[in-house]
Amino acid sequence: MTLTGDLKSFSFADILQVLHADKKSGVLIVEWKDMTVAYYIKDGELVLARPVDKVFRIYVDRDFEKLLEKLRLRESSLAETVKKFFLSRLDNREGIFSFTQGFIRYPETVPVFYPAEYLIMESARRLTLEETERKISDELLVFEKAPDYEEKVRKARLTDEEQKVLNLIDGKNTVKDILEKSGLDKLTLYRTLYGLLSIGAIRRKRKKAPKKPSISLDLLAKLIEKIKKL
Amino acid sequence: MSEKKPKKIKIVIAGPFAAGKTEFIRTVSEIEPVTTERKITDPKEKEKKSSTTVAMDFGKIKIDDEHELYLFGTPGQSRFNFMWEILGEGALGVIVLVDSTDPKTFHEARRIINFFQSRYPVPLVVAANKQDLPNAWSPEDVAVALDISEEEGIPVIGISAKNKDDVKKALLLLLELIKTQLTG
Ligand SMILES: Nc1nc2c(ncn2[C@@H]2O[C@H](COP(=O)(O)OP(=O)(O)O)[C@@H](O)[C@H]2O)c(=O)[nH]1
Ligand SMILES: [Mg+2]
Repeated sequence: MTLTGDLKSFSFADILQVLHADKKSGVLIVEWKDMTVAYYIKDGELVLARPVDKVFRIYVDRDFEKLLEKLRLRESSLAETVKKFFLSRLDNREGIFSFTQGFIRYPETVPVFYPAEYLIMESARRLTLEETERKISDELLVFEKAPDYEEKVRKARLTDEEQKVLNLIDGKNTVKDILEKSGLDKLTLYRTLYGLLSIGAIRRKRKKAPKKPSISLDLLAKLIEKIKKL
Repeated sequence: MSEKKPKKIKIVIAGPFAAGKTEFIRTVSEIEPVTTERKITDPKEKEKKSSTTVAMDFGKIKIDDEHELYLFGTPGQSRFNFMWEILGEGALGVIVLVDSTDPKTFHEARRIINFFQSRYPVPLVVAANKQDLPNAWSPEDVAVALDISEEEGIPVIGISAKNKDDVKKALLLLLELIKTQLTG
């Protein structure tokens, strides 16, 4: 399975959201103008970032522990690679990504210094207002906390402002209400909501119960039969 | 029998540019779909296809002597204009098509879902289209990328709009969802 796309229209926040939600393992490759970086993903977490001169070299190393030996990296320095080749590049959006699932063997446990929740939040903090409006498309949207939000926001290491936003998410306040009550600027609020949504700490609350469909059961049954026979 | 005009039952086929709406309708319609397409001149859009739906396209399936099912495709570029209002009004349900090979359109797809949920909260199914292509994202990944949480009640199905059985499956999924809401 491969996931490919362009960082300009599908940011790291979006990519990590997908990889993390399904706890995928594999390698995410980003080809920028100035360099190509392989991001090693284990169970939805970024454990190593490694620049390579040629894409094919990534596929030579199929054993994570042997790769670390080859690169002379100790587990304690993995976090450093994430800082150097992921966090420092979040502002650069001129890249093409592709994720290849599997193919690399990971040991049972690899330390995770920067949890996906943290990296997603960091990425969301850099979105433009226009980008955040892709998810926060309506001032009247209402969000609620997910049942397991506490663990997720702990890992995300929220700022005080972001914590303020979280406190106002109660399944009743609209985005507009939160904007007024928090006193925050729109961009900060929208980035925060985008991030919280992407880490799965909050979700859209369904507005109203949908109307009963205006069709009789008999006619619906006929319709179903007709489609089946097409 | 009187010569009454058949009643129209309406299902809206929505989705971003080039998601496969016209293809979807063409695959199941009993009439040659009525499209109002024009040649594309913008070179960027032209990479994806050579013509586009300006107003709308629709297909038709006869149910019985008194009823016809209309599949209305939403127009490609101009989103949420007056045409959309007309389309949403009185619709039995909505199928939102997504091009599973093109993540840059996913956000637009989510906005379309939001539009229908807030204006016309009718049963809605997402069809992750173009699953026949090798670089298609799986329906599960498309669902996550669109922030569709389980409790939102929006089923996501993987299809190829070129495949008649797949298109039928998507329509049946929507009709079953409608049935659940009618009886539940
Ligand atoms: N391979 C493949 N191509 C598709 C599929 N559905 C649509 N297409 C192609 O994608 C392009 C855009 O489809 P179209 O129906 O015009 O998109 P619309 O803008 O949503 O009406 C056309 O070239 C279609 O032939 C599919 O399921 N598989
Ligand atoms: Mg069309």
